[in-house]
Amino acid sequence: MSRPRTVLVTGAAGLVGAEVCARLLRAGHQVLGLVHRTRELVANDGRAIPGSDDGRAGTVRLVSGDVTLPRLGLDDATWELLAGHVDLIVHTAATTDFGRPAEVYESININGTAHVLELARQRPARLVHVSTAYVCGERDGTILESELDTGQRFGNLYEESKFTAEQLVRKAAADGLPAVTVRPSVVVGATRTGVTRDFKNIYVVLKLLSQGRVGAIPGFFDATIDLVPVDHVAALITAAVVDFDRARDRTLHAVGAAVRMRHISDVLAEYPSFHVPRYLAPATFDPEDLPERERSYWNRVLSLYESYFRRRQYFDDSAAAELRTHRRLAAGEAHLRTIIDHAVRAGYLGAPPIRDVRR
Amino acid sequence: MILTEAQVASLADRTLARVAPPPGYALVLEGSIAEGFGNSRSDVDFLLVADQDADMPTMPTIFFIDGRRVEIRTRSVGQIAGHLREVAGYAGRSARRIATLDEHLLNRCQRLLHAYVVHRPELVAEVRGNLSHDDFATVMSRWWAEHARQSARHAVLLTTLGEPGSAAVWATAALQQAAKSWAARRGETYLEPKWLSLQLERLDDDPLAGRCRTMLAAVPQAGNIREHLDLVAQLGVTGCADDPHRLVVARGNEVTTWQIDDRVHLVRDRRDVFVLGEDAARVWRRVVWGRPVVDLLADADRLGVPDAGELVSAFHRYGLLRVTWQGTPIGPRLPMAAPLGAITPAPSTATPVLSIAGALPAHRRSIDLLPVPAGRFAAAAMALIWANVMIENAVEDLRGALDQQQWGVAALTTARAVNGGLRALLSAHGVSPLPPDPELLHRLDLVPVTPARIRVLAERLYASAMPDIRLLQDFVTEVRAASGGGAFPSSFDSPDGWQRTLDIGYDWLRLGAYLDQELPLDEAQDLLSSGGVQPHVAAGGRLQEAS
Repeated sequence: MSRPRTVLVTGAAGLVGAEVCARLLRAGHQVLGLVHRTRELVANDGRAIPGSDDGRAGTVRLVSGDVTLPRLGLDDATWELLAGHVDLIVHTAATTDFGRPAEVYESININGTAHVLELARQRPARLVHVSTAYVCGERDGTILESELDTGQRFGNLYEESKFTAEQLVRKAAADGLPAVTVRPSVVVGATRTGVTRDFKNIYVVLKLLSQGRVGAIPGFFDATIDLVPVDHVAALITAAVVDFDRARDRTLHAVGAAVRMRHISDVLAEYPSFHVPRYLAPATFDPEDLPERERSYWNRVLSLYESYFRRRQYFDDSAAAELRTHRRLAAGEAHLRTIIDHAVRAGYLGAPPIRDVRR
Repeated sequence: MILTEAQVASLADRTLARVAPPPGYALVLEGSIAEGFGNSRSDVDFLLVADQDADMPTMPTIFFIDGRRVEIRTRSVGQIAGHLREVAGYAGRSARRIATLDEHLLNRCQRLLHAYVVHRPELVAEVRGNLSHDDFATVMSRWWAEHARQSARHAVLLTTLGEPGSAAVWATAALQQAAKSWAARRGETYLEPKWLSLQLERLDDDPLAGRCRTMLAAVPQAGNIREHLDLVAQLGVTGCADDPHRLVVARGNEVTTWQIDDRVHLVRDRRDVFVLGEDAARVWRRVVWGRPVVDLLADADRLGVPDAGELVSAFHRYGLLRVTWQGTPIGPRLPMAAPLGAITPAPSTATPVLSIAGALPAHRRSIDLLPVPAGRFAAAAMALIWANVMIENAVEDLRGALDQQQWGVAALTTARAVNGGLRALLSAHGVSPLPPDPELLHRLDLVPVTPARIRVLAERLYASAMPDIRLLQDFVTEVRAASGGGAFPSSFDSPDGWQRTLDIGYDWLRLGAYLDQELPLDEAQDLLSSGGVQPHVAAGGRLQEAS
């Protein structure tokens, strides 16, 4: 355990960022949270994380800024304050949405990282960069933490932008910046309760499939998608901060358990009101064959996730295992059930309104 | 006691004369006679207490003395003290925890504590010192109260679901258990419910005892449910108010829903398959874990499904869903009976067992159990799908061969088509695995009835050197009729129909994957996508076509 530090968390209002802020506060660090529009930090379980403008004890000092702008969009005084005091930066700010224009990813995920690196170099401050396990793109097989550029093809612009951002971090590290990269897989609800603050990404997929909005998708039964509870991600990032010297220059997979597509089918079948999608052979799937309404949902939403339905990827996390304090999820199927149960309890998933029921 | 002390002593002497009591033994009379109940037909139950720690055999020895059946058991001091101490350890625990105590254990303690001592009272007193009467009364009162609570909650559920007859039975059970709890609190801890009326008589100075006796003497009736549950509360059993809003739907154990085309099938314990009629399916599709039962019934009402409570009740009875009391499981059991578990109905007798689109429910409200286990059901269905693919391909090949006057090829493809038809016929009746193709014609006795014309047409087609596509179509028509029409829904009628058959194949793949059927799933996906023309199906798969 290292001495308390002054830590800047970018994207502090985000799902992972807020959880990291809460943990760093509890660990006794002075935490500054870079926020864009939101001025209130909410933990994953819905509880408010105390914030303030002056960083008094037990609060996250909120700093309004914009990672897409040079010097994070800060005025000179704030920039100098950060450059003069911050020991370590946790860079979680990013867009994880799919289907956005290329310039959005470039602006937030790539330029945002460049701007954070600018601050880190000036101080100099240590950096924990939050990437994604899916910088591996569509490459199947075992994915090592040490691998980055293997000539992979990317499933979407999000993956590619995070790949480029990670390259920036690697270059900075090669130039001497102390850095760690943490790569979460698909971040979902908490380990024990399944609780999540935000129903995004895979939750949207589960909603459309379980409501039968799209009845058939191209995918393999043995394709896998890795789900990691948000508390595990935050815990590993916090461990990297606390034990930075051991983590330095490493890339850490913040991953959970691989869930097979057949398990998604099996678990959805446990809920009487849910529809279970047909998995069609990807080579012959044609969205034009879908009924018009389904085709619309496919084109607008599910097509963005298409390549995840056919990947067979397993994430090695040997480096992370040396640092993390929790046990990696053993059974993805069980956790999928846990997060769906929560989504049902929260009313996000369930039977569609009666008006949508057809005889 | 219905026997005098002298009579007991005489019976004891004559019984001991026939057994070899261990040294230093004690002897007690236990059971209904010792408790002050019993009648001229009651057994005389003696217990020999061996002054040792080691266990003794528990089987009784039975004699008939003076026309009475006399049983004598032997237990060691170590055994009895162990029983009493175990129960004593529960004295401060919650009712839910106490309710897990085994009734036979409690019964042994009760009988010993309330036994009439015949010989060596100091040894009996010493062993009784392991459990006080007060602690035992507390345990028994809470034990019965918890069972009463569960029965009452079950009665509330059945009332909510529109099952007044069954609800009345459980309301009466709840009252009986509540009365036992109330009586136990007053020292009447005897377990057997059959002497409850006499126990209440002994407590007649309290008006509640009389009310209980009166109400329990009546035949359970729907009109008395509310009154029974009110009295249960007055007897001190809380947490079972007649409030249906506390009833919440919960996940059953290993129950999954599989829609095949537009037909809903449920798989229970990965073993039993139920097919739902249209109304049953519409109600089932509104089930959401964690929702109040009353909301489910309201949904069903809005959907226009009459008497949906009966359907929900059947789902519950079959273990397809559970109902909790605000999240706490409801575990009703009648006194001295096994806990109420999932009930399995008699299987459906409909034939054939399945079609391309699954099993056929008897009527709109059916929740029909299929006569084949889930694994075989899925395997037979996939074999049926594949038989369709096989015939479709064979017929196409046959047309091509005839066009080119390739008679040898045509004969072979005709045989393939016939094999496909026979496979479909057997599969539709649940035969799985299938006999080898060359034996199919000789194994038609595997299905209940096979029209003679199918056999005749198959023989002619197998033997034909000059294949006749019209004859083949006749054969397919016959097989279709013999398999209820569902084996070949419309595969030969239109491209859309054929595509629908393939689409349904994907539905079956999901179920097959769930049940761990041995098939190469991803290859099967490719195969279905292409209508079966791809040649690279992995060996060993159930969907593999015989060459």
